[in-house]
Amino acid sequence: MGLLTPWFLGGLAALGLPVWLHLLRKHKATPLPFSSLMFFERRTQSSIKHRRLRYLILFSLRMALLALLALAFAHPYLEQKLAPQSRAGEVAVVAIDNSLSMRASDRLAQAKSMAKSVVRGMRPGRRGQVLAFGARVEALSEVTDDKGALEAAIDAVRPSDTRTSFAELVRALKSIAQSLQAPLDAHVYSDMQQTGMPANFNDLRLGDKVHLEPHPLVSGPTPNFAVENVVAPHRVYDGGKNRVLATVIGYGTPKALRTVTIELNGRAIESKSVEVPESGRATAEFVSLEVPYGYNKGDVRIDSGDPLAADDVFYFSVERSDARHILFVHAPENNRGLLYFQDALEANGQHGFVIDPATPDQTANLAPDKYAFVTISDAGPLPASFETALKGYVNQGGSVLVALGHTYAAHDKVPVAGLTITGTRYAPREGDRFQTAAALDISHPAIQQDNRWDDVKFYRAIGVDPAGARVVARLTDDTPLVIDRQQANGHVLVFTSTFDNLDNDFPLHASFVPFIQQTANYLGRADRGPASVTVGSFAELRESAAKGAAVEVLDPTGERAFSLAEAVRAQNIQFLMTGFYDIRRPNGQNEMVAVNSDRRESDLMPSSRETLSLWQNTANGSVEAGGAAASGQKPLSLWWYVMLAVLAVAIAETLLGNRHLSVDQEAA
Amino acid sequence: MLQRFLDPATLASISGLDLVAKTVVDGFVAGLHRSPDFGFSQEFAEYRAYTQGDDLRHVDWNVFARTDRCYLKRYRGETNTRLLVLLDTSGSMGFGSGSITKMDYARYVAASLVYMASSLQRDAAGLIVFDEDVADYVAPSTRQGQLFRLLHAIEKVQPSARTDFTKPFIHFQNFLHRRGIVVVISDFYADPEAIVRTVEPLRYRGNEVILFHTLDPQEIAPKFRAPVLLVDMENEAETMEVSPEYARHEYRARMDAHIENMRTKARSAGLDYFLMDTGRPLDEGLREYLAIRRRMM
Repeated sequence: MGLLTPWFLGGLAALGLPVWLHLLRKHKATPLPFSSLMFFERRTQSSIKHRRLRYLILFSLRMALLALLALAFAHPYLEQKLAPQSRAGEVAVVAIDNSLSMRASDRLAQAKSMAKSVVRGMRPGRRGQVLAFGARVEALSEVTDDKGALEAAIDAVRPSDTRTSFAELVRALKSIAQSLQAPLDAHVYSDMQQTGMPANFNDLRLGDKVHLEPHPLVSGPTPNFAVENVVAPHRVYDGGKNRVLATVIGYGTPKALRTVTIELNGRAIESKSVEVPESGRATAEFVSLEVPYGYNKGDVRIDSGDPLAADDVFYFSVERSDARHILFVHAPENNRGLLYFQDALEANGQHGFVIDPATPDQTANLAPDKYAFVTISDAGPLPASFETALKGYVNQGGSVLVALGHTYAAHDKVPVAGLTITGTRYAPREGDRFQTAAALDISHPAIQQDNRWDDVKFYRAIGVDPAGARVVARLTDDTPLVIDRQQANGHVLVFTSTFDNLDNDFPLHASFVPFIQQTANYLGRADRGPASVTVGSFAELRESAAKGAAVEVLDPTGERAFSLAEAVRAQNIQFLMTGFYDIRRPNGQNEMVAVNSDRRESDLMPSSRETLSLWQNTANGSVEAGGAAASGQKPLSLWWYVMLAVLAVAIAETLLGNRHLSVDQEAA
Repeated sequence: MLQRFLDPATLASISGLDLVAKTVVDGFVAGLHRSPDFGFSQEFAEYRAYTQGDDLRHVDWNVFARTDRCYLKRYRGETNTRLLVLLDTSGSMGFGSGSITKMDYARYVAASLVYMASSLQRDAAGLIVFDEDVADYVAPSTRQGQLFRLLHAIEKVQPSARTDFTKPFIHFQNFLHRRGIVVVISDFYADPEAIVRTVEPLRYRGNEVILFHTLDPQEIAPKFRAPVLLVDMENEAETMEVSPEYARHEYRARMDAHIENMRTKARSAGLDYFLMDTGRPLDEGLREYLAIRRRMM
């Protein structure tokens, strides 16, 4: 119900008049001396009560009369829902939000209940479909006119940990409408989170076949605390104490004190109290995290007491392991490359690698399997057995870094990679007399975080035919500088220059250190990824598309995420639940992934009515233009009803008032 | 003009009670009453033929000389009576809804009666003031200054205590040795049967008893605009909240029944009853008294 002229409600102040007349004046009973009370009886009290009651009725009537008059001036109206004219073959789509925010209070149960009422109200023969949506849309039923099936599908909606995406819903609705070749009447039950709206409003455009009926479950913001982020090491290599930084955020919350607790493997390590400012953030620092060997499940949680408890905990995984070995093969007379490579690698304290240097003669009996990866730094010809072992090692998923210098100038093949060497490229004698890196593939993990190679001077490089391999960097004369060749499950990264500061001055530049470190992490599969990922993220399970050995993935509930058939075929996995995913690869590259919900779900601020109306109109406008159906709301004026009530109350007041007046006149 | 001076509100503006009584009586009284007995007084009544056995001292010898017949000369004899006013001064008599209270009205009536009796008719007038006991007593007398003693006694009465008819009336009987007129001025807030039973013995001694039932108009027909908290004037601890409807209907019926009961009981006991509404002029009360007085002639 609304009011066209609500400022007339100020007339309600006149209600004070009957209050004064009846309640304030009435009780001024002054005692009256009388000669004798012998003709009065106590039972007259009841008569007085009766009279008072009549006065109260008169009082109520007067109050009602004034209130109704004020209401009549305010001109009330009702939003009359016009029943949409049924379009031919229209399908009712019931879309229920099952994102994380719907876990707050009983929102999901409320949504289900409302959705069921719509299904029950469907005309016989009308078809419908039930969708559950969060980050992606899931069809829980077929298009059917069986109300029982639709209600069962509504019951089947389970809360998820994903975030709301209305754009995804709109895409799904349009897709359904297109595939069914029928108009849709979409009922959306959601908390209509503002954060679920896409950045571009065009993504919400519904088109002429979809009529939207949003059903917001909440009207105002709900205060909510959450652990927004935790910064923790993903891998540690020593037994020292580690630092963990947790950020607590409040959405629409007052200033409050919260207790933050860090746990490792289910055991509370430390608790701290932080004061979270009004709708602000606070950080808690823990410096006493001691990590045992292996994969560890850690979390930081708060005592929020708010309706949404799912975001009060933030998971992180931390692995402790010993440093891994790298076999560095170099020419006996050239240690410079080893020196620069080692210094670059050790520039970071937590590198996690130990370099085992070797000359080609020493490699004959070495098994490369025990190394994280192998580096061949312009080492010249390798023993055939070792090269064969390396190829097998790469095929099994191992990695080799090859730096090409003058010792390979006379060779025709790159060791292990087998790429053809086309010759030696020298810098021209005229001009700058050096070359620079002209093209960098910044998406490659080796140079992803630092690609400022502009000042690096390359004087000589070995020309290699990439032969379809990925060229990560090229020199100004288009000579490939860095080539990544995938062989079976492994990689061979070819650097067509050296690490010894002779063929280039790369080791003298700051960008050399991150290049070596990132390359080592990439080839050694020691990516220093975050300690946790958000729900909806993907992880790669295997390198090649071919079927291989099964990859076991245990989801947070301890169940296998894949069937046996999927386990040997799946290339990647999308994390859809919060908690810890245990990934066990056949090559021993196991991983514990901590998955957290998207913290945008923690902001429970609903979208404004205007936004929803605009969204709705993206369908209505086109529908009306097409003239197929008309639906919406029409204000139904209640003025006449209120005036009739005024008339009735005025008559009653007059009759009752006259009875009192007759008493007074007689007394006068 | 006469009525104006008998209006209680007008009388209230007159300061002295003697003046009030004089105003009332002078404006009202039309003449003297006559004695029913023939006696030897100064006023000639008639001649009657002598019969045997008549006292020769009453023979009019002048007539006998002129007519040679014996006639007895008869004179209209004047008799004096005794008026005793019993004035109730209980607390309830202090009630008044207008300019005067019932007590004031009763004072005027009493003063007028004793003035009329003492000054004009030479009757012996007396006064008994009572509430729950005898408060004051002025014995009936025709002595000089009796009127002023009575007026003084009437003037100083104030409504005070509760009413109790039994005790004072038993006491009165000791004072009443000769027959006369007894006027009881009271609001009679008691059981009519008990009142009549108490007053009735006065009648046995040959007295004419007049009950002047003095009530305020607000007592006869109370009119309240709103519920009121009534406080009993004879017992202030007793209060009661009363609705206008009750006062208008049930109370009035009860009061009417009480008045009617008083009238019936009084008449059946040979007592004269007169309801004096303090909102009405005093002459009605005086006329009642004179009618009774004339009946006694």
